[in-house]
Amino acid sequence: MSFAQPARIPLPPVDAEVNIICCEYCPVACGYKAYTWPVGEEGGPAASENALGADFPTGTLSGSWVSENMHNVITRNGQTQNVIVIPDHDIEAVNIGGTHSVRGGALAKKFYNPNSPTSDRFQTPLLRVHGDLIPISWDMATDLVARLSTHTIDNHGELAWGMKIYSYQFYENVFAASKLALGNIETPNYSPHHAPAEGDDVPGLSDTGIDAFAATFEDDREADVIMISGSDPYETKTVRFTTWQQPGGAKLIYVDPRKTFTAAYAMKNGGIHLQLKPGTDVALYNALVREIIDQGWEDKAFISKYVANRSELDGETKWRRQMFGRSFDEIREYVFSREEFTLQGAERETGVPAQLIREAAAMLTGGGGPQPKSMILFEKGLYWSHNYENTAAIGNLGVLIGATGQVGRATGRMGGHQRGGQKAAGYPMDKSPHFFEGNPVEMDTERWLVEGNTRFRWVVGTNWIGAMGATQALAARVRELISTGPTVSSTNVDVAYEQLRARIDEGGLVVVHQEIYPNDSTQYADLVLAAGAWGEENYARNNAERRLRLYEKISDTPGQSIPDWKIFATIGKRMGFGGFDWKDTNEIFEEAGPKSAGGRRDFSALVEYAQEKGLRAHDVLREFGTTGIQTPIVRDGDNLVGTPRLHADMKWKTNSGKANFVFPDWDAVAERNAILAPQGDEVWVLNGRINHVWNNLSDFARREYATQRWPMNFLEINPDDAKKWDMVSGDLLSIESNNVIDQLGNKTTGSFTAVAYVSDTVPTGVTFTYFLFPGSPANSVTPGDSNLQPINLRYNFKLGKGTVTKIGTTDLVGRMSFVPRNLV
Amino acid sequence: MTDLTRREFLLIGVAGGAVAAVGVIVPLSRMGETEQAAIDGGSTPPTTTTLPQPPAAVVGFFPKLKVASLSDVNANEPIKFDYPLQGQRNVLVKLDTPVSYGIGPDENIVSFSSICTHMGCVLDQYMPEHNALGPCPCHFSTFDLANNGMVTLGQATQNLPQVLLSVEDDDIYATGVIRLVYGYADTLQGAPMVEVS
Repeated sequence: MSFAQPARIPLPPVDAEVNIICCEYCPVACGYKAYTWPVGEEGGPAASENALGADFPTGTLSGSWVSENMHNVITRNGQTQNVIVIPDHDIEAVNIGGTHSVRGGALAKKFYNPNSPTSDRFQTPLLRVHGDLIPISWDMATDLVARLSTHTIDNHGELAWGMKIYSYQFYENVFAASKLALGNIETPNYSPHHAPAEGDDVPGLSDTGIDAFAATFEDDREADVIMISGSDPYETKTVRFTTWQQPGGAKLIYVDPRKTFTAAYAMKNGGIHLQLKPGTDVALYNALVREIIDQGWEDKAFISKYVANRSELDGETKWRRQMFGRSFDEIREYVFSREEFTLQGAERETGVPAQLIREAAAMLTGGGGPQPKSMILFEKGLYWSHNYENTAAIGNLGVLIGATGQVGRATGRMGGHQRGGQKAAGYPMDKSPHFFEGNPVEMDTERWLVEGNTRFRWVVGTNWIGAMGATQALAARVRELISTGPTVSSTNVDVAYEQLRARIDEGGLVVVHQEIYPNDSTQYADLVLAAGAWGEENYARNNAERRLRLYEKISDTPGQSIPDWKIFATIGKRMGFGGFDWKDTNEIFEEAGPKSAGGRRDFSALVEYAQEKGLRAHDVLREFGTTGIQTPIVRDGDNLVGTPRLHADMKWKTNSGKANFVFPDWDAVAERNAILAPQGDEVWVLNGRINHVWNNLSDFARREYATQRWPMNFLEINPDDAKKWDMVSGDLLSIESNNVIDQLGNKTTGSFTAVAYVSDTVPTGVTFTYFLFPGSPANSVTPGDSNLQPINLRYNFKLGKGTVTKIGTTDLVGRMSFVPRNLV
Repeated sequence: MTDLTRREFLLIGVAGGAVAAVGVIVPLSRMGETEQAAIDGGSTPPTTTTLPQPPAAVVGFFPKLKVASLSDVNANEPIKFDYPLQGQRNVLVKLDTPVSYGIGPDENIVSFSSICTHMGCVLDQYMPEHNALGPCPCHFSTFDLANNGMVTLGQATQNLPQVLLSVEDDDIYATGVIRLVYGYADTLQGAPMVEVS
């Protein structure tokens, strides 16, 4: 006899508290509502009996159903409460109609619950004593950080004090951190989670004058044709695809070495897949530009009126635009001067059939017929391959067809994460030790550290080392540096301080890790600062269409953990700096408002309005619900008005106000490809994101639903390669390379393991893995030398390589799915 | 079907919470009684005015329902049936591999809900070469029936609910469901309830 307990979920009673919040993960940032109420109480299944106002059972596409992963039990104001997080039905943008992704749909499981896999949240500050991290008090932790920071700056200079920090984790936190690091300490040793240096991630596009986030999601729906390069929107920007691109019916031109879901979708729905060889984007886009000009399909009116000529380019004052800005005539001359950009030459270089390149050119432009509304969207598959040249080349294509500033016509990023990077102060470029042809560029903080110049590094909200190229070489050097000089042998604050100070003075490195969970970089930390995060404080942030929303506090922070801003403020004050006396995040938001003025994220009008009316800016923002308001925000009397799309005034971010073409240097790319391409038995080891999980899996490694799907990292291999290598899905693989270039330009080694996932998603000679899976340092086989891209000091993350060897089997067949992930 | 009183039926809306609060283990699959059809759970939730005092436990139950004959199950032909409530659609399929929860001589007959756990669209496509149900016609979630109904790619936040099966001679019975069925806050919402003392 078998027994089965019917599954059920408690529904919120009508008097449940309701808060607005947006998804934590991808840049789409769907709007949600969180319902909280005491455990032991429940609402009923009739709409009048529950706070959702929904009848259960709910209907198809109702968006009101509550799955088991949408419920949790949390501590709220010290009380044990139920929480349900479901899509916000009141939203008038983004995820209209209650849809969600697999990531955001399970947001409730992000909350700390000691009876769940989240139980390993950091709850107190920790100090490494005799090699182990042990709890200490906040007073001791902040005293140590403040004193060691002051000592480092006073004795070794501010360039020896570094901060490695998320670039996006809410305006209030980034503002507080940057006020300390850039505003007060004024160090150039400050870099984001994803790159060795501060600065623009898409410099080539920026030099055209086009803002990377100029479009609004409505444009996706309005477009007739969307070219998507180096990003799978279904997997990683899900609701932008399912709510805006799919219903809009645009034909897709999908550009990627992998035949992902969206590639298959494009093919099935009248689009095409340009399956180029890794690292050959510039040849493809230059060939498209050439073909369009050759056919006379360019937007002549746009170019004539809105594109800078040579004399206007000569008026540029920024060195990059001076150096690389090009007129239409100059770009035409360049693309027609090279055989590689003929259809046949491009086919040879990229592997994309000439006919498909011509077809793409015709789709984007109408091929001599009526001009369609075309969009060009891209993300890291493009710009973490070859950074400057790729973003220049794709930007040129956008300028050539006038895909900017108009309904359904835009060029820009899909986005990687949400946008919360309002800094309190500018980057002190004059202090950076790094240059390109005499022009200052932001410090490569990893190279600087490897060279032994950084004595104190404060890592905030990132798996620092795993997220950098040549991971294992970097880790080995960090181990050397933290082993130079004393280690801590006592929880006595003065003893600990003296030992860490001595290490700093002896040329070693002290690492502070401010985090919510341990990750692969925590092992190098001397101090851990237990942080609070999403849903544990009131914060504000933009999404990829510049939509600003309030993310309300839902849950208490676990144990003694503290929201990031409070940690920065406490230490700032202990270091003797003024301006850290904020009472709450609203005060930071209001202080940040004027700093945002004039930029893409300008919310200064909202703050001005609130202060004029005697209101709190967060409260004013809350009134906009999860629909929010798109920045830049402008005032029209007592109305706050958002900006759906940038460049609608037909002005671009250049000195002339016109758009530029930019030099898309194939020679630089070819030279780099010759260094980075697989050698001998090596194959490409590409990496990126996948549908179920996000970033370094800080949440998802603690979400059973995700870990059953992905118990370990995977490596996609083509069936023909699998046959050749005698591998099947479920085998345990070693991926290694002896040709990795480290932070100093030296050859080093890298290796990691993964389970074989045999799939035609990848072509032969190309493999694909997750970029930041815990315990699987995939970036150990990607280059870590920013000198390869000296214009902007970015890594070629997407050009990893290695040999693939079967080293055993796993127990995963039968409990992990190996079904193809590109079935349409 | 058990003859339930109106009073017992009215308890549905509150019984679960009350039962859980006192720690009584609830519902069970009543193997001894065979139903001829899925239960009509009704679509109109009950209206409660004054709440009666709950008994020691008030439970719903999974009926035992014959859903197919072993001899009729073919590899490429999913069998559709509603269970445990009418409108709760499921498929029964023969996989190309044995699984721990499979029944039949080759331990490869399984059954899952065919209502997508993303937004409730009907999964009307089965790909026997992949043992996969989907992609969903609405947002493309695809489920691996050889791996507990997990989402291989897609936006659903739950594995597909799995229908428990048993075999008697040539008859295949549904005896219960694991996981919450799309649309419901309680998989047996609206089903008759029985009183357990």
